[in-house]
Formats: sequence, structure tokens, C-alpha cells
Amino acid sequence: MSKLRVVHYINQFFANIGGEEKADYQPELREGFVGPGMAFNQNKEFADEAEIVATVICGDSYFNENVDSALETVMGMIKSQNPDLVICGPAFNAGRYGVACGTVAAAVNKAGIPAITGMYKENPGADMFKKEVYIISTKNSAAGMRDAVKKMAPLAIKVAKGEAIGASAEEGYLPNGIRKNFFEKKRGSQRAVEMLIKKLADKEFETEYEMPSFDRVAPGEAIKDMSKAKIALVTSGGIVPKGNPDHIESSSASKYGQYDISMFTDLTAETHETAHGGYDPVYANADADRVLPVDVIKEYIEEGKIGSLHQYYYATVGNGTAVASAKKYATEIGKKLVDDHVDAVILTST
Amino acid sequence: MKLELGIIPISDIQFGPESKVENGTIYVNAEELKALILEDEALQSVELDIARPGESVRIMPVKDVIEPRVKVSGEGAMFPGVISKVATVGSGRTNVLRGSAVVTTGKIVGFQEGIIDMTGEGAKYTPFSQLNNLVVVCEPVDGLAKHAHEKAVRLAGLKTADYIGKLAKNIEAEEIETYETVSVKEGLQRWPDLPRVAYVLMLQSQGLLHDTYVYGVDAKQSLTTVIMPTEIMDGAILSGNCVSACDKNTTYHHLNNPVIKDLFAQHGKTLNFVGVIITNENVYLADKMRSSDWTAKLCDWLGLDGAIVSQEGFGNPDTDLIMNCKKIEAKGVKTVIITDEYAGRDGASQSLADADAAATAVVTGGNANEVIHLPKLDKVIGYPEVADIIAGGFDGSLQADGSIIAELQVITGATNEMGFNTLSAR
Amino acid sequence: MVVCLIYKIYTILIEAGVPESIYGVSNMYLIVTNNQLCLGKYGAQIKMEYLEEGSYLDVLLKVRDYLHLGWKLETHPMTGSLKPNQTPYKSIMISNNPLDQEEFYSQEITISNGIAACRKFQSIRKTPDWPEHLLEDFRIVDLSLIEGAIQRIL
Repeated sequence: MSKLRVVHYINQFFANIGGEEKADYQPELREGFVGPGMAFNQNKEFADEAEIVATVICGDSYFNENVDSALETVMGMIKSQNPDLVICGPAFNAGRYGVACGTVAAAVNKAGIPAITGMYKENPGADMFKKEVYIISTKNSAAGMRDAVKKMAPLAIKVAKGEAIGASAEEGYLPNGIRKNFFEKKRGSQRAVEMLIKKLADKEFETEYEMPSFDRVAPGEAIKDMSKAKIALVTSGGIVPKGNPDHIESSSASKYGQYDISMFTDLTAETHETAHGGYDPVYANADADRVLPVDVIKEYIEEGKIGSLHQYYYATVGNGTAVASAKKYATEIGKKLVDDHVDAVILTST
Repeated sequence: MKLELGIIPISDIQFGPESKVENGTIYVNAEELKALILEDEALQSVELDIARPGESVRIMPVKDVIEPRVKVSGEGAMFPGVISKVATVGSGRTNVLRGSAVVTTGKIVGFQEGIIDMTGEGAKYTPFSQLNNLVVVCEPVDGLAKHAHEKAVRLAGLKTADYIGKLAKNIEAEEIETYETVSVKEGLQRWPDLPRVAYVLMLQSQGLLHDTYVYGVDAKQSLTTVIMPTEIMDGAILSGNCVSACDKNTTYHHLNNPVIKDLFAQHGKTLNFVGVIITNENVYLADKMRSSDWTAKLCDWLGLDGAIVSQEGFGNPDTDLIMNCKKIEAKGVKTVIITDEYAGRDGASQSLADADAAATAVVTGGNANEVIHLPKLDKVIGYPEVADIIAGGFDGSLQADGSIIAELQVITGATNEMGFNTLSAR
Repeated sequence: MVVCLIYKIYTILIEAGVPESIYGVSNMYLIVTNNQLCLGKYGAQIKMEYLEEGSYLDVLLKVRDYLHLGWKLETHPMTGSLKPNQTPYKSIMISNNPLDQEEFYSQEITISNGIAACRKFQSIRKTPDWPEHLLEDFRIVDLSLIEGAIQRIL
């Protein structure tokens, strides 16, 4: 049987092209392995079944500043090699490299080609993409390359062959929210006692289940007189002006938009649409008021029930967007609303 | 309080003319034992059967599992307040028929689950597949109320375990395990530098088929209190819990509580195991507040540095678990909690019905919704028709070849929340 | 006349779902249930909202609506270890006892988690169409669970 064809994605630094001064390096396709690819090809478990046939190199700044076009070029290069598997990185703790690896691996996965990556758990790319792709948990610097390859190689082969993937603790990937059973070496009570001993000694321990955090927000003071209140609309339902001028992504949104609605009394299929990829867009596209209720607000203003509608509305896509990103957008949007003396906000989700 | 457990390894159970324990085999005179069980007028008939490790046997629906033990010396007798008179147990010597168990089955309600497979995929998930099991199948008199039926089956199991246990009263134990809990004062003097740790044992206490008994007292009627670990080894805590097979604590689990055993293993070395606090899981929210307040208060009063908290059951107890954890942590006592998960068949849903940021250290017994494939086995002990309800019902499906695809939650003890098993999830 | 008017106001407030503690009548308990055994046994002693055709989820949603109107949870919405796609019955006690903001938040999360858990189990598999003798068993267990709380207030 012929070996699995693997394409490796790396940045300019690991390709030995240069550091920050070369971070604007444009995508390049090279035959065979480059840099860390050697470590994969030399890994016995990997080499028995697979081979890196080509390497795609891209500068981190270039990728992150030109995401759409860079991704398109990179994807074209990857697909030209008809790979059975794509490996991105590992990116360790390099933030922009991590985001690039995550973006490429997620896009490759979506295109139906198995892909994995690796990075340090605090790399921003980890939080953004751990639910979409398998991200092997690595150390925080390139000194952890050997260890990373040792864990990435077997998982990559399994993913490529469509074999059953074990729990994160067994395979070494970052927990992705999918709970999977497996047998530990020690029974639960012993693990509990050992965990407690570590906790008592203020040593690092790893919980087996991360508690979901419920972010409690105390409600603001009630507005006594709505007829004088200035209301703003904010949505995670992806309502954007027709054509999506800011190219807000249909999932894992990397931005939000600020749009003027002062001239609208009713949103229509001609003026607005949704960028959201997580629900059936037909009804939102036909009448975006269903998600962003501009028409009703304007009626209420007419009737004197509400004072006014803020000139701008803010929109992003909630679909798979990392909580950290959402918090960042919300902080910025909140500040703008306060600065603009908005009294209350109607938040709509989908 | 000091207890010695005399371990008598058991490798087989057989029916015979005389009930006795000899060379690692338990011989049972079935007629004699049946007559004893049928002294209870609530029962119309009883059948006995034996299931050994590796046999192509399925036991269902399992109500309780009990390890036969007998008091050799020391105050009281096994299962005080229920089978024997009320007396403080937990000291002296107790003989343990290790490797054997009494398993009760009874169709108290029509939907009851609880499977022990002695071989195949299911056997990997239940610790009871490793034991020689004497199975007691009880049939009630007509028209018996559910509460009375539950009690009759519960007592039948305990009586049987007591009967078998007594056969080993004069047998020389192969190995002696010693467990001792000293007074608070002595503990402080002997291990001044070791962290003080207690075990908070939450008991199922919600109502019919959801109860636990402490020295015969219904746990939902009781306030949080302190018990010595060795009392539990002598049967002070008994299970009346028959729902949610995978994460109910059988009487076997109480007798062999793994947290107690593993804390004793570290006692005097890395920690000072102070004792056990038992608390309940009532349905009434005011009871939950009161019980968790008391738990935290006792942890504080015992001067603890750390506590391990284990829960029992699904849904409602998650709230008690989180309340206990939060309040104990608020007293400056570090906690580790043990639970299991219902994260959906795909593992993508939220695992617990409650959560709090204070629960930073969690051990899990696995996702009970995960699906397993149980092969068709040659023999079913108990009530085979229950398979149709499990299979045709909420948590499984019967395949053409007679095998069952079911969620792990149907397997007795599979995701135990005392940490009895190695199964976990990430 | 005055009495009549006050009664009329009470009736309006009750129908609007506003808890009576807010307008002066204290300590009222209400059980939301779809279990006829619970209604039959305690309906004469405790106020019941009986959802005759209601599902387990309907009971949870009704209780959530009451919480939003200022009522207080007295029993846990996920009582019993029977899964929400296993038993069709649910009885939950609420009251007009006062609750502070912290308690409200915590109860809001409890009921929301209950609803989420119920939907999760229903999405795994819907509650089967059980035969009558099994339904009766489920009713008996549900009744026993709520009785633990009823005994506290009677």
C-alpha cells in the first residue's frame, strides 16, 4: 500500500527564512519536507505509513493581515498536492502562528481532508480552534518539538485513516468539549486522593472536568421612563448590510461590525442579510427585522413608547465564536455605547 | 476505633447439602436459605442462582449487591439497626468473604434497570462481574405496595449476606487488614504536621427507591453527622437505592468504600484521615441548605485542611454536591469532588446539572450516556422481560441477533461516584 | 363591599401570577404537577396547578415562568434519579416565600439547567409511550419524591 500523502503547513520562522522581519513572507509551496517536517519523516510510526510530500510556508503577519486571500492561496497549494492528511505547525506559544495553523487546519477539515495541528494550551489559536480541529497540547517553546511530534504523529495517522479517536487525555489533544470515556490506570478514589494531596500542597493538578462558568451579570437599574430612553440594538445573529462589507465570518467570527441604521425604518432582503452560518438563513435574509427588530423599534418611537434608536447597531456572529473573542467585542461595544449615552440595549441572539 | 478485617478469599459458590465455607468455596443449602428468606410474609417465592466470573450470564434487574461479612469480635453484629440490634459497630474483627457477593433482583417497579454481565463488553464496566455471585430472585405476594416490596427485597439480600457471612465466623483469615481512627486529640498529637482530611459521603435520600439507611435510620430524616470509617465497613450504611444503576452506591460499595480505603492508605503518611461526614441529598431545597451548612460547619469544626466529597445519583444530587463543595471551600478547606457525567451520547452536552467555579478539582467516573454494545448471553438470571423494557425503552435497542445497544447507565456500578472504577472521561 | 373589592383585587393578582407575599398573604405553597396521583392525594390540602396533558418539560417551563414572576423554588426540579426521558411525571413545589437576589440567580440557574438537561435527554431519545402499568409505577415514584417535601410543610 502506498504511503499517506501529507502536506505540512509552517511559518517563515520554522522554514528558516527569517524572524519578525520576514513575517510578511507570502505563501510558497515547496516539494518535500522543510524544517520540522524532518522530525515527522524521521518518526518511525509516522514514516511507516505516511510521508510529507510538500510543505506550504507563509509568513505569520502576511497570513493574519490578509486572512481571506492568504487562506485561499494556501488552500489552493494544499489541494494541488491531493493530500490524505495535513499537519499544521506545531505553533507552540506563537500567537499569530497558532491562529494561522488553526485557521488552515479548520479550513482543510471543512474541505473534507483530515488535518491536525499542535500548540501550547495558552496560545490564542487554541481557544479559537480547539472545537474545530484536534490540537495536540505542546510545550510553550520549540524546545518541545520532539515531544510534540511524538504525540502529533500517531494522532495524525489515526485521523487520516479514520480510526476511532480516544479521549483527550489518552491522545494528547486539548480538551475540545467532547467527553469521551476511557479506562485510567488508577481508580477514581485514588485519583481523588492524589489530586487532594497536590491541591493541599499548592502543587499543580489537573481537574478531570472543567466546570462550565456561568457569567452572572447584575441587571442594571430599571428605566423609569422609556419614552425618553435611547435604545441601541446589538446582535450575535449576524445581521449585516447586504454584501457583508466587513466580511464577518459565518463561524468563529474574528470581528464585529458597526453599522448606521438611522436611515432605515424596515430592514429588507435588499438592504440586509445574515452572515451567520449556524442556522437556516432563509427567514433572516428575507426579513432581517426578525433578528434585528428595527421595524418594531421605529413603530414604538412613532407611538412615543421609546425615546430614540441609537444611530449605530453592532453585529457579530455567535456561531462557534470563542468566549474570549466575544468578551473582547462586548467590552469594546459596551464602551462605545456608554460614550454615546445609550440608556439601554436590546441584545438579540439566534 | 480500630477494626481488623480478616480476608477469606472466595473462588467459587456451589449448592450443597450443608451450608459451609471450605477451601475458598461457599456451599449453600438452598432449601434452608430459602426457608429463612420466606419467613418474610411479604414474599411469595424466592429463587437462588449462582453467577461466576466469565460465565455467559446476565443478571437483571439488579437491586443491590452485598458482600457477606461476619463480626468475629467487637461490639454489635453486621447491619446494625436492620438485621442485628442497634449497637456501635466498627471495632474488633470482622471476617470478609472476599470475591463473593449476594445480588438481589426484584421487579419492584416495571421499568427497573441494572445489569451485571459476567462476560463480554458489559463485564468490563461492572466490578461485580469479577465476583462469585449468589443471586436472590424475589417474588412478592400479590398486591404488595411498592414500599413494602422494596423493603422485602432489601431485607432478603441482607439476611442472605448475613447467613452466608456467619458461615465464616470461625474460619482462619488468610490476611488481616487493620484500620484505625484515633480521637481528634490523639490525631493532632501524633501527626501535627500532616494535613487533616475528612471524607464527605453524600447519601441518596429522596424517596421510594432512592433511600439509604444509617443504623436503620432513613437518611433523609437525619441531619449531617460524623461516622467512623470502620462503622461503614461493618454495615452501618445500607443501600435502598434502586434507580440509576450506573451511579447508585450498592451496599457492597459502602462496605468497600474506595475513598475510605485509599485515604487510609495515605493515613499517617501524607495526610491525617480524620473521619467521615455523612450528609443527605433531599428534594426539599431548605433541607439542602441545612445539610450543606452543617457539612461545612463540621469540616470547619474538625479543623480540616482538605475534604473529598462523593455524590450518588443523577440531577438533584449535583446541586447538593456543588453546595457542599462551595461551602466547604468557603471555610478554607480544600476539596476534591467525585461525580459522573451525562454529556449526551455524543459527549457534547453539559455534563452536570449544576456547577460552580469553586469546584476546581473534579474526578469523573465517566459519561453514563455513552453507548455500549452488550452481546446476547446464554442465560439470564432475574427477569428477562426487563430487557425488552430497557431495549425498547429509553436507553437502548434490541438487535436482531439478540444483542442490546444501550447506554452505559444501565450497567450496575459502571460510573460509580465513589471512584470505585478506573473508568473516566475527558 | 370592601371585602368584596379586596377579594377581587387578590383574584386579579393571583390570575396574573403575582405571588401573594407581595400583597400581604404569606406562606402559600403551590405544586406544579402532571401527576394525577399527586393531585388526588394532596390536592385538597395544597394548592395545585395540574397540567393534565403536560409533559415533564411543560412542568419545568411552567415553574420557570413562576420564578420569573417572583415565586420561589421549594423542591429541586430534577428530583429523583429517573432521567427526564424515562419518567413522564414531575411534581415541583414552589412558594411565595421571599427570596433575595442571590437566591433568585441561583434558582434561575437551577431551573434553567433542569430545562437544559430535560431537552438534552429528550434529544437523545424521547420518552417512550409506556404501557399503563409502567405509567402507574412512575406516578408512584414521583409522588414519593414530592412527599418528602410535602411532609415538611403540612
